Amino acid sequence: MSTVDALLIVFAMTLVTYGTRAGGIFLVGFVPMSARLEAFLRYLAGSVLVAIVVPATVRGGGAAYVAVAVAIAGMLLLRKALPAIALGILAAALWRTYMG
Amino acid sequence: MAILAVLPPVFVFGVAFGIAARGHGLEGWVAALMSALVFAGASQFAVLDLWTKPIPWLPLLVATFAINARHILLGASLRALCHGLPAWKVYGSMTLLSDLNWAALVAAERRGERDLGYLVGGGALMWATWVTATIIGAVAGGLTLDDVKNYALDLVLVTFFATTLVGLRRGRVDDLPWLVAGLAAMAAVWFLPPNWHVLAGGLAGGIAGLVRDELRRS
Repeated sequence: MSTVDALLIVFAMTLVTYGTRAGGIFLVGFVPMSARLEAFLRYLAGSVLVAIVVPATVRGGGAAYVAVAVAIAGMLLLRKALPAIALGILAAALWRTYMG
Repeated sequence: MAILAVLPPVFVFGVAFGIAARGHGLEGWVAALMSALVFAGASQFAVLDLWTKPIPWLPLLVATFAINARHILLGASLRALCHGLPAWKVYGSMTLLSDLNWAALVAAERRGERDLGYLVGGGALMWATWVTATIIGAVAGGLTLDDVKNYALDLVLVTFFATTLVGLRRGRVDDLPWLVAGLAAMAAVWFLPPNWHVLAGGLAGGIAGLVRDELRRS
């Protein structure tokens, strides 16, 4: 791989990736704003997060289930993200040590 | 604040990328440049396997697009937040758009803070961490993904997203779209090529909510 090839790849990736980053807000600008679109975008935000969390949890197996369950419970009780994440990770580490 | 929790895993994955990139024959500075300009970990790891001569341009660009296509949904969901802002501010902020700082941003929006600063500030911190870590990984080495597993760092990201989800939930109205999103994402994991699940789940959940609302109205 020559230096020019490597640079070409990096720049091409940069363009494609920025295209995806700017593309969402650009494309949605062509759709007239309506209550319907607003509702859709709101469902979209939550659904994207669900679509990140669920497969990652299933892939992670036992420890991931423990971590996510404890973190969600912690968030519901404490309403603070940082301690909730810490509790989830701690629970998963204990799970891996004693059960994994 | 919660964005600080994700910096250690971002760092570790950055180091892992630096090591992996050297392992695949990339020069250290190429790896660092890629992290600085592309700033999208999963796609960077993916192209390492395509780092061959002659360059497989089509698979390389398709993989980059497919893995990062979820950004399109993230960006689209920011419409209300970006409304009325000058274009340079909107498109400038989008250079740093990533799942983690997007999640922090929509969580803040739900609390009533309409401020793109969550995207830019969080993104800048992640960017600096990611690039520094890549350089360290490319120069040093020794750490493997197994070590990351032992310290459960890989789970920080998923628990971060899960806690964001708690803050985002409005109530029963979200039940159906989120259920559909989860099922569609899993179906995509099983039946589609890798990395389409966020796009598939996000769209399916959004459409499910919209269809349900229409049926209720009629």
